[in-house]
Amino acid sequence: MIWQQLTGLYGSYPLALRGLGMTALLSLIALVGGTLIGFGLGILRTAGNRAVAAVIGAWVDLIRGTPFLVQIFIVFFILPELGLELDAFSAGVIALVNLNACFICEIVVAGIDSVPKGQVEAALASGFAKWQRMRLVVLPQAMRVVLPPLVGQYVLLIKDSSVVSAIGLTDLTRVGWLVVQRVPNGLLVFALVGVGYFVVCYPLILLARRLEARMSAAQGVVRL
Amino acid sequence: MIEFRGVNKWFGPLHVLNDIRLSVQPREVVVVCGPSGSGKSTLIRCINGLEEIQDGDLIVDGQRVGDKATDMTRLRTEIGFVFQSFNLYPHKTALENVTLAPIHVRRTPRAEAEEYGRELLAKVGLGDKFDAYPAQLSGGQQQRVAIARCLGMRPKIMLFDEPTSALDPEMISEVLDVMVAVAGEGMTMMVVTHEMGFARSVAQRVVFMDRGAIVESGTPEAFFSNPGHERARAFLGKILRH
Repeated sequence: MIWQQLTGLYGSYPLALRGLGMTALLSLIALVGGTLIGFGLGILRTAGNRAVAAVIGAWVDLIRGTPFLVQIFIVFFILPELGLELDAFSAGVIALVNLNACFICEIVVAGIDSVPKGQVEAALASGFAKWQRMRLVVLPQAMRVVLPPLVGQYVLLIKDSSVVSAIGLTDLTRVGWLVVQRVPNGLLVFALVGVGYFVVCYPLILLARRLEARMSAAQGVVRL
Repeated sequence: MIEFRGVNKWFGPLHVLNDIRLSVQPREVVVVCGPSGSGKSTLIRCINGLEEIQDGDLIVDGQRVGDKATDMTRLRTEIGFVFQSFNLYPHKTALENVTLAPIHVRRTPRAEAEEYGRELLAKVGLGDKFDAYPAQLSGGQQQRVAIARCLGMRPKIMLFDEPTSALDPEMISEVLDVMVAVAGEGMTMMVVTHEMGFARSVAQRVVFMDRGAIVESGTPEAFFSNPGHERARAFLGKILRH
């Protein structure tokens, strides 16, 4: 019987690859888009005017304080009511990018706030303009603090992307649901789904570790 | 070069600068001393706009600090500022610390900025530390890099905010030597310090502050031999006892 299940599973591998591809694609778009927008929001929130910062802060709190599943339903089912028709893929991408931009914004703000005030004063005293202070002095130092949780967020993002299966996108998780109807061994099927996610996430975890080590070395930080 | 005309500043109810009137001439070296909390640091931090003044006029290099028409970013490029805690950029090497502002603010070509940067670092005795990161340098070395960083901008004025207070005693003289050399080249300087030896040998004027006000101002000779104000006498008695 287990043999039958294994051959069944083997027969499902094109579907599994498609799922893995969908998960990877969604994650990649959300990663790049979320990072760009998240950094933009984070910088605006710390360096922009107060009204802008308040609006960004409120939006970030709203997104962080509501379940992702609800957000994705709103984008997919409610926005069309307002005349914005979206296919499942676009809806998934928008919801994921937005979610990650908000979390990354928080990470970036924390990183920028961690840079000592004396650094900003030194940059001011040197005559750097506002954007130069951010680009040349504050952000490079903030990156050290930002990078580990940022890559941690990427890992969460890849896993969060499984929620898009709820609106019918054939990602890795949905492939699991489909396959388990043919191969009635949930443990085996979802263990493999887990392995699929791990395969995508693990290189990121390794990357985070290497980047961190290199950053520390560059600044002559003694490791405990 | 620097002129305070009745400058006032408050931190909440605390009157940190009380009707400051002070004029610093080009090439003059003025030492500011006084007990902690007397407003010395605040005084020099106002000059490059790190603190805002609330009343009175402050004219630096012909421009009114805090005036809407004054480009503070531009004005700051003419003013070097040395911090008590160095504030070197930790992610940049010693040479990069010196060349960063010349390259990005003055738009000096990189090669030229680096050549001058090396020259300056050699001058402050760090000719072998171009590629060292701040964390690899001692406090005295970091402060000398910080001074070179200011000089890299070819400023008209240098401000020092307790430049040796965070240093171990054996490192103080290496920093003071550099400051003496800078003063010797005719730099206009305001130095907040308790190093009375430096004041005696380099300063043209010593200003004594207490509770936000300048209570005494005169030549080092006059100040040290015969301080007029009772609080200045008490202060000198405390710091010169040893």
